[in-house]
Amino acid sequence: MAYDDLRGFLAALEAEGQLLRITDEVLPEPDLAAAANAAGRIGEGAPALWFDNVKGFTDARIAMNVHGSWTNHALALGLPANTPVKDQVETFAARWDAFPVAPERRADAPWRENTQQGDDVDLFSVLPLFRLNDGDGGFYLDKAAVVSRDPEDPDDFGKQNVGTYRLQVIGNNRLALQPVPVHDVALHLRKAEERGEDLPIAVTLGNDPVLTLVAGMPMAYDASEYEMAGALRQAPAPIATAPLTGFDVPWGSEVVIEGVIESRTRQIEGPFGEFTGHYSGGRRMPVIRVDRISYRDAPVFESLYLGKPWTEVDYLVGPNTCVPLLKQLRAEYPEVRAVNAMYTHGLLVIISTAKRYGGFAKAVGMRAMTTPHGLGYVSQVIVVDEDIDPFDLPQVMWAMSAKVNPRDDVVILPNLSVVELAPAAQPAGLTSKMIIDATTPVGADARGNFSTPVKDLPEAEEWAARLRQLIAAQG
Amino acid sequence: MTHCPRCAHDTVGRLATSPVPGVWDVLQCHRCRYTWRTTEPARRTRRDAYPDAFKLTADDLAAAVEVPAVPPLRTTP
Repeated sequence: MAYDDLRGFLAALEAEGQLLRITDEVLPEPDLAAAANAAGRIGEGAPALWFDNVKGFTDARIAMNVHGSWTNHALALGLPANTPVKDQVETFAARWDAFPVAPERRADAPWRENTQQGDDVDLFSVLPLFRLNDGDGGFYLDKAAVVSRDPEDPDDFGKQNVGTYRLQVIGNNRLALQPVPVHDVALHLRKAEERGEDLPIAVTLGNDPVLTLVAGMPMAYDASEYEMAGALRQAPAPIATAPLTGFDVPWGSEVVIEGVIESRTRQIEGPFGEFTGHYSGGRRMPVIRVDRISYRDAPVFESLYLGKPWTEVDYLVGPNTCVPLLKQLRAEYPEVRAVNAMYTHGLLVIISTAKRYGGFAKAVGMRAMTTPHGLGYVSQVIVVDEDIDPFDLPQVMWAMSAKVNPRDDVVILPNLSVVELAPAAQPAGLTSKMIIDATTPVGADARGNFSTPVKDLPEAEEWAARLRQLIAAQG
Repeated sequence: MTHCPRCAHDTVGRLATSPVPGVWDVLQCHRCRYTWRTTEPARRTRRDAYPDAFKLTADDLAAAVEVPAVPPLRTTP
């Protein structure tokens, strides 16, 4: 089941009992963020939240926590609501193999219903903006898909980037943008600024649930997010042409904001409570001048609470971070069974693998650190045996407790690269990295006493699936 | 006079006002760009209640790093 817009997915969530409408009047602050914060604390099946009675607003419609549980993540992919996490990641990886799936261009985008442009642009009149965390510098757009093109190759569809970046509202027609230097929009901006040119940009809000997943996924520079969305949706992604920039934007967006990143300009931005569970900023960041806003009648404002994990962002970037690492590791090491890179966007990764020979697990751990995503993340790797589910933390802790001899199985590598947002880095952007080899030694590594492990009964896996079906049938 | 809760600057502008008249305004400091709604809790709107950890001085603002740094202009096409 592919959803062409956010509204279609919200209706499906409601039909599944996974959309909670809050009908009592709430304050824009702190209620909206506090409710979404709380959704991350009530268990793995938390619903999306819908608010349309917000004090001081006359027609606000706000959706939060849309991807904020494994249940909702499964439904976004069109899977049964109770699909285990490991199976969600495997399905994600299997669908990836259909990439690229060409998008479908449509002319009748619903966001053409309303327009503001030039001096009439006023973000506050279109969006019910609000603050998330106490220390945030202002109000943020934090669940947008930001579209930009390579200024030196603007006709290359693959190099057109669709990414999620934090955007602070710093004026009625101005936004501040955080492009982490390794990310694609920063490469586009660098090329434009070297030429002294503004960088055109489109910010799309309230997108279909798979497009949002893809926008947060670490993909290759020249790989098209729309073609990946088609693979994951198992149907072409609907796109449309943005009226001002001519960029390819999602057909089903609620709001499309167009303008330029002003060349060679920086302005104070932040702080913002980030995915690391810590604030980052304030720093001087690039600035967007908004020249045009297109929006649907009665637009839905989708926002995302993030702060101390776990929050919605952890579900959002969990599986889509696991899969690139899984693919890249398996390309050279087919022994790799599964990769759990869902802790703080892959700052910590758990890998299960079979072994070729003694020392192999440590090599797999080092390779994870040298993948494109690993260069900026992956500061700790735990490697476990092929019969350990890396998404089952009690199993991982058992492997750690029973199989690790710290003197020989913990490897620390000094002074490697990491994103500047990583709180433990010193200096920012540089960190030591660690591999914990929690696999059973194999020849020529003859350490320990591991000859008689207890194994699950052969029938247990079938019974687990049967129990899940019975529980789901109970409703 | 309204001062910025974060940097104590005395020039504050109004970015927005509530669609329901008289309920709230959204204000912004002209120096540090801190933005707040008048109905937010005191810990976000009043200088004396604002957490020290988030306060900024003029020196902090002047020393804020550029991310990403502005690159050199290309001298050849």
